[in-house]
Formats: sequence, C-alpha cells, structure tokens
Amino acid sequence: MNEHARVLHARLHLLDRQVVRESDDRLLCKVDDLEVRPGDRPYVTAILSGPLALGPRLGGLPGWLMTETDRLFRGEARPGPYRIDMSLVTDVGSAVRVAGHPQDLALERWLTRNVVGRIPGAAGTPEQDAPESTAQDVPENTAGDASEKTLRVREREEDRPDTMRLGGLLGRTVRGPSGEVAGDTADVRLVQDGPLLAEVRQAFRLAGLLIARRRAGRLFGYERGPGLWRPSLLGALVRRMHGEIRYAEWDQIESLDDDEVRLGVAWDRLRSTADL
Amino acid sequence: MIPLARLAPLALLTALLLSACVSPAWDDHDYALKAGKTAESAVSAVRFARSVVAHRDRMTGPYAEVVLTEAVRDLSSVNDQFGGVQPPSDSSDRVRDEVLRLTERAESEVADLLIQWRRDGVKDPEAAVRELDGLASELSDFAEKHR
Amino acid sequence: MKRLLAVTLGILTAFGGFVDIGDLVANAVVGSRFGMSLAWVVIVGIVGICVFAEMSGRIAAVSQRPVFDLVRERMGPRAGLVNLGASFFINVLTLAAEIGGSALALELVTGINYLLWVPPVALVAWLVMWRVKFETMERVFGLAGLALVVFIVALWQLGPDWGELTTQLVRPPQDEGVPTYLYYAIALLGGAMTPYEVFFFSSGGVEEKWTRKDLVTARANVFVGFPLGGVLSLAIAACAATVFMPVEAEPGSLGQMVLPVAEGLGKVGLGVVILGVFAATFGATLETALSSGYSLSQYFGWQWGKYVVPGRAARFHVTVLASVIVATALILTTIDPIKVTEYSLVFSAAALPLTYLPVLMIANDPDYMGAKVNGRFSNVLGSFYMVLLLVVALAAIPLMIATKAGQ
Repeated sequence: MNEHARVLHARLHLLDRQVVRESDDRLLCKVDDLEVRPGDRPYVTAILSGPLALGPRLGGLPGWLMTETDRLFRGEARPGPYRIDMSLVTDVGSAVRVAGHPQDLALERWLTRNVVGRIPGAAGTPEQDAPESTAQDVPENTAGDASEKTLRVREREEDRPDTMRLGGLLGRTVRGPSGEVAGDTADVRLVQDGPLLAEVRQAFRLAGLLIARRRAGRLFGYERGPGLWRPSLLGALVRRMHGEIRYAEWDQIESLDDDEVRLGVAWDRLRSTADL
Repeated sequence: MIPLARLAPLALLTALLLSACVSPAWDDHDYALKAGKTAESAVSAVRFARSVVAHRDRMTGPYAEVVLTEAVRDLSSVNDQFGGVQPPSDSSDRVRDEVLRLTERAESEVADLLIQWRRDGVKDPEAAVRELDGLASELSDFAEKHR
Repeated sequence: MKRLLAVTLGILTAFGGFVDIGDLVANAVVGSRFGMSLAWVVIVGIVGICVFAEMSGRIAAVSQRPVFDLVRERMGPRAGLVNLGASFFINVLTLAAEIGGSALALELVTGINYLLWVPPVALVAWLVMWRVKFETMERVFGLAGLALVVFIVALWQLGPDWGELTTQLVRPPQDEGVPTYLYYAIALLGGAMTPYEVFFFSSGGVEEKWTRKDLVTARANVFVGFPLGGVLSLAIAACAATVFMPVEAEPGSLGQMVLPVAEGLGKVGLGVVILGVFAATFGATLETALSSGYSLSQYFGWQWGKYVVPGRAARFHVTVLASVIVATALILTTIDPIKVTEYSLVFSAAALPLTYLPVLMIANDPDYMGAKVNGRFSNVLGSFYMVLLLVVALAAIPLMIATKAGQ
C-alpha cells in the first residue's frame, strides 16, 4: 500500500459536496452518490447525481416521489442517474472539481431553452454547454431530449452492469461472526491506491468501514482525531451519541448481503479509530 | 428539533385557526374577560384616531386617512367579533350592553371623523380630541375592571 | 483610501439593510407592550447574528461555500431536506410579508389601497433581480434604508423620560404574563437572527467573489454594520415605548408604527421614515426572494447566483420567480402582512438551530478553513448560542399556541 495515498471518508469528504466544472467554474451538481465497482478490491468509478441518485439515498416518500417524477419525464427505456466518470475528477476539496465538459443536467437545459431563455434579457448562450464528444462523459440519460415528454411509467431503474452504489453501504446493520449485532456502518474509508483511471489518476479504493456502536446517524467529522473535536461541547455530544467507533478493514468483512454487513472477526479485534 | 420543523405547517394552520376566530365563552367570568380584551383593543384604536386628530398638522393627508381608516376598521371588527359571542347568562347581558355601548359609540365617532376628514378636514378638532380622550379613558377603566 | 471607502460603504449597507419588516413590527409591538424590558433580547440577538454571520462570511471567503452548501454537506440529504423545507417555507412567508410591507409603505404615501400596489411591487422586484447587478442592488437599497435613522432623531425630538426608559430595562410591566413576555422575546430573537440573513450574507460573499483578503470587509460589515442596525431596532422600540405605552395603544399596522416619527418630526420626518420603510422592506424582498433561490439551488447543487447571466442559471431564476409569484398570491388573499410577519418570526426562531449548527461545525473544520478555524472565543459563544437556540426552538411553537400568538 502506498504510504502517501490520499485517505478520505466517503460520507464526510465526498458525498453531498458541490461538483464544479474546472473549465469555467460552473456549478454542475452535487455528489449525490458514488458508483462502485465491486470485487476483491472495490473502487469508486463515478460520481452519480440527479434525482435518480439522490432519491434512493433519501428514501421514504420524498425519495420515491423524486425518482418517480424523474422517470416520468425521461425519454429512455432504462434511465440511469447523471454520471461523471471519476477519471475526470481533478481535485477533492471544499468542492469536487472535474475536468472536461460534462453537460448540465436535463432540467437545467430544458428550463434554459423553454422558460428562462424566452424571457427578454436572459442573454444566455446554451450552445456553450453542448457536450464535447469525449468517450467517458456521455451518460445515456442526457442523450434524450427532455422536452419530449413520454408519459409512461418506466421500468425499475437499472444501474450499469456490475456496479453498486456507495450510499447503499451506509447505515447498514453490522453483525459479528456469530450473528450478534455489532453496530451500524457510519462511513466508508477510501484510499487513493486503486487501479489507474485514464492513465493519470489512481482510483479511490474502498479500504474499510467505520462502524459506530449505536445507530445515531452521521458522525459530522467528529470521528477524526482528537484535535478536531471542536467545539468541545458539540464534539463530546456527538461522540457520546454514537458510542464507540471502530474501523473494519475490507478483508475483515465477510459478506455484504441482505442489507447487512457481516464481519469475519469479532468487534474487539477491530481497530479503534484513534489509531487511524 | 427535526420533527418540530416537520410539524411547522400544521402548527401554523392551528395557530391561524386559533387566532382567526373568537372562541365561545364558557362562563360569566370568561365572558367578562373577553369583554375586557375587547375594550382594550378599542382603546388602542381610539388612541390612534386621537393622535391623528391631535397632530393633524404634522401629517400628510393620505397618511392620516390611512390611519383613521384602520381605526374605523379595527373598531368595527372588534364590535362584530364581540357581538357574535353568546353571553352565557343574564348577568353577562349587562356586561355586554356596557361594553358594546362604548365600542359602538367609538366606532361611530371615529367613522364620523373619517368622513369629515375626507370632505374638508375635521370641523372641531379640539372637541373631537376631548371626546376621544373621554371615550378612551372610559374604555380603559372598563378593561381595568374586567381583567 | 479606496479600500476604506469600500469598507465604509459595506458598513453603511449592512446598517441600512439590517432592519426589515420583521424587526420593525417586532420592535414596535414589543416597545408598546413591554417598554424597553426586552431590549436585552435585541442585544442577545445582535451578538448571535454577529457570531454566526462572521463564521459564515469567513467560510464563504476561505472556501467559496455558502451556508446551504454546508447544511447539505454536513447534515446529509435527509436532515438537509427537512431544513430546506422549513427554511423555504419561512422564506416565502417572510417574502410575502416584505412585499406586503413595501405595498403598505406606498399606500401611506398615496392613499391607494396596498393590494393594488402588491403586483407592481412584485414585478419591479423581480425585474431588479433579473437585470440589476448584485452589488448595485445591495448598495442602493441598503443605503436608502439608512433613512430609518429618523427613528433615532424622532426619539430625541420626542424628548422621552430617559430615566423611565432606563428603569424599564430591568422591570417588565406587571400586567403581562410570563408566557407572553417569553413569546415576544422569541419573536424578537427570530427577528434579529432570521436564517435568511446568513443565507444571503454568505451567498452575497460568493457573489462578490470574496477571498481571504476580503475578510476585513466582511468582519467590518458584521461587527460595525449589524450592531448599528441593532441600535436602530432599539430606537424603534424606544419610540413605541414613549408614545404608545403610556396610553395603552398597541400598533397593529405599518401606519401606526411610524406614528411616533410623525409626532416628533412632522411631515418631513414622516416622508423620510416612509421612504426608509419602503427601502428596507423592498431591499428585504430582494434578499428573501434571492435567498429562496440560493437555498434550493445550493441544496441540489444547481448553478445559482447573479454573477452569471440569468440564462446560465435557469433553475435558480425559475425558483426565484416562482417564490415571488407564490408570495404575491399569498398577500393578495388579503391576509394581513403584519400578522404574516409575526408568524414568520416565530417559525424562524424554531428553525434557527438547523441552520446554525452546520455553520459552527464547518467553521471548526481545518479541511475547509485551514488556519482560519474558529478561535476559542467564537467557539464558546457559538456553543452557548447553540444551547440557547435549541431551547428557543423547542419552546417557540408551544408558547405560540399557549399564548394564542401573544394575545
């Protein structure tokens, strides 16, 4: 393992951040979810965005409404979420910057053309947003003309073959080797030492899971080192709510079936996050 | 705090409904309290009308007219609302007569002033101010007794 | 020299833009009923908005991320959506109140019913947001809002019993119940710390392309401009306490609220104060309408802002237009704008922790802030306010129901 590889916590550092287009600083979308290629060394392949990525993460009625509304207005037989290949990502900071010319989402283009563009003084030039024909950033979903509404309820949305979504790993119940409940997945640790993407950058590999003893939602970044527990009152409160937080390496995980995570080793043998 | 925020629209509706209508009076005491509140609202409206008449030289025409119109509107809605509450017993009838006599007098007085103002100014401002002062203090005494 | 001018201009803008219909209504009503006995709440509110606006301005300058980005990023999509729903609802309610306020100000000048003024006000506001540059827009209405300084002059002209006003500071009137007192305390706090103020302040920082170098400007705006705005709030309350409280009059309309200025300064003062009220409410109309666009766009990651032409931020401008239309329709139902304001203040108070918690977290995150993380002082104050806001949020709605909205 490369000692200097960048380490990120998916939920804390990547999910829900703003995606910015490098070439003109245009705000494109949020990192609504991440596409993962499973296997022995799973790694992140793409940023997913739009209602079809956010909806499943929201869950419940709002999520259902969001995905179904989106499908209603989509032209393709099997709409997938808006997708930006990870090889385009140039920087992960307070925002995620992407190179190339990923297109705007369908709703923006439709509104520009049919509503805002028709009001005098909009002075927009939608042509600037025309996609450049690069192989990796033409998601099927943006290919159709969104203004052509075909009011048919779509089949269940399908991701690309052989991929899963990182959002699905969060909030899962974790069981120990003998089936007892050990905790809840709170975050996914990513290390940038995966396979090369587009021959320049290494992919973010899923290195392991952060597991909180108690189910209490997000960690808000307070799982990190003690220097980052400020303001102390808030830090103490959040850490108390979650109980102990431990870290399971990917090879300590036996299976990921049935919306549960089963560990191959007992809770006591997992590393504490203080060592990270 | 999250469920609270989800309840906000519901709470708004409840609150709007609560404040939009006058609830029925349960007993004599409750009725008297309502009468006191009514008198209090009327005092406020009469005072604003009085201020406009007393300081008429310091105000622009449209402004004074707006404030007077509001005073008339407030008084008439106060009358309508309280008049619609059923007095629970005979003894409450007396309270009702007393407060409505005052508020209705206030309404007609201020409405009168508004008409004069729109025509060619208040005819006898000093008398009007005295009259409004008297009304306000009577209403205020009544409110003081029934709180 | 040029820098000094910019800083001064920024301060004056923050000063003039601080008071909106909420502050106006809350302070006038509270002054007439409780005298100066709730002045401490205004001060608590000003310190609070300073602490959190400074943090959000600093975050915007260092990382170019406005407040609702932080809400989504730190609270996650679900809690973020709840927050978005609450903030958006309050925003539209406040927007309706501000449009109503501008229309009422025009009624006071012309005598023409305010309902007739509502559609033109909304249309002009939208045109300004569609075409006028952000900086120009903010400056013009912020500076015109300075006309409200007449409240201070009027107070001095009315020659109040200063000793009486001072004793009121610590002695609440005996004939008001404790729940009512607390209810109005919450409304005042909601008025001073309205969430849209930080949405707008931080998004404005991004619109004006603040960098680390602009931290001085941001801090000057916050630490000088906002407290001056607070002084204005107190002057409004003191005017009401001087003129209305002794005669038991409770102002329930905009016309009645500016009466002390007319009594103190006559026609000229009246003209200036109505101009000030119009500028303040119209400016706040723009701020709240843009804030609804900001919050929705920043949650979903849409391109937002007036720094790109409207055609390049289509979803943002559609959101702004839609909220203006909804708010206009709400006011045209003849619902009383002052009542709408009173409700929106209390709902704002209930939603405060949702907005300020992520700001406090990110202001401590070195990944974002590098060396500009919160100092000890900001953290102690920030933590104190989080506890306070949590209590306020839990108490707001029950108190509203218990006191029948302060009757």
